[in-house]
Amino acid sequence: MLALIYFLILGVIAVGGALCVLLSKHPLYGALSLVVTMLSLAGIYGLLGSPFVGVVQVMVYAGAIMMLLTFVIMVLNGARDNRTPRFDKISLFVIPAIILMALMLSFLILRTPLVFNPDTARGTVSLTAATLFDTSASGPGYFLLFEAIGLLLLSAMATAVILAKKKLGSPETSDSEEVH
Amino acid sequence: MELQPVYIQILALILFALGIAVTLSRRNVFFVLMGIELALNAVNLSLVGFAKTLPAMTSITGQIIPLFTIGVAAAEACVGLAVVILIFRSQDSVDIDTYSNMKG
Repeated sequence: MLALIYFLILGVIAVGGALCVLLSKHPLYGALSLVVTMLSLAGIYGLLGSPFVGVVQVMVYAGAIMMLLTFVIMVLNGARDNRTPRFDKISLFVIPAIILMALMLSFLILRTPLVFNPDTARGTVSLTAATLFDTSASGPGYFLLFEAIGLLLLSAMATAVILAKKKLGSPETSDSEEVH
Repeated sequence: MELQPVYIQILALILFALGIAVTLSRRNVFFVLMGIELALNAVNLSLVGFAKTLPAMTSITGQIIPLFTIGVAAAEACVGLAVVILIFRSQDSVDIDTYSNMKG
């Protein structure tokens, strides 16, 4: 009963933050409402018994990714372009299609019998680490995935540096920064 | 009245629909990126919710895959924002409709 009350409160906060993302005009307000949504989702992870995923959600999503997004919005001053309308005529077709998709999927979900398993595992740090890194017990699959994610993050960092730099080997000119 | 797994899936579905709606209907490019992040979050929530309906060693899979998803989302946001910076320098606009020519 108490879990349901907590879930309802956190879920209403999450959906409200997502609606604010859909309707807000300034990108910075949208980013801050997205942070609220992600923090309440981290609370729901903790409520469901996956505290490690919740902590990673707070640190990586609400911390790192949204900090990067907010930083880029502030640097580029993305709200300077005030004449850009929020929606256009395409939205008249997109929104009903999405509502139709959501109705069909909810029909499917509501017909599926789902119950909580009483002997499900609690995703603590020790159990997650044992499954990820103890290759003798759980096989090398997760460990190989972990290494692949590391390589992906490294190549993404190199790509971002190469893309965002103006031209490799030339000194950064300062005239373009002052226009924004 | 207890917490049911169906409620979690319904919440994930609502968040996913809102994320797709933000991605497809907003015109500011930052909102497009935020909608993608929102949809990824909803999928993570759905995975964790389904993992709780499985027995012990099977359910730990559903709680490790979201960690990898978060890593991929971090890489995607990094490259996506770099591309946005690059296009913003040449187009000088955040309107997604002006990004129709993909010339550096």
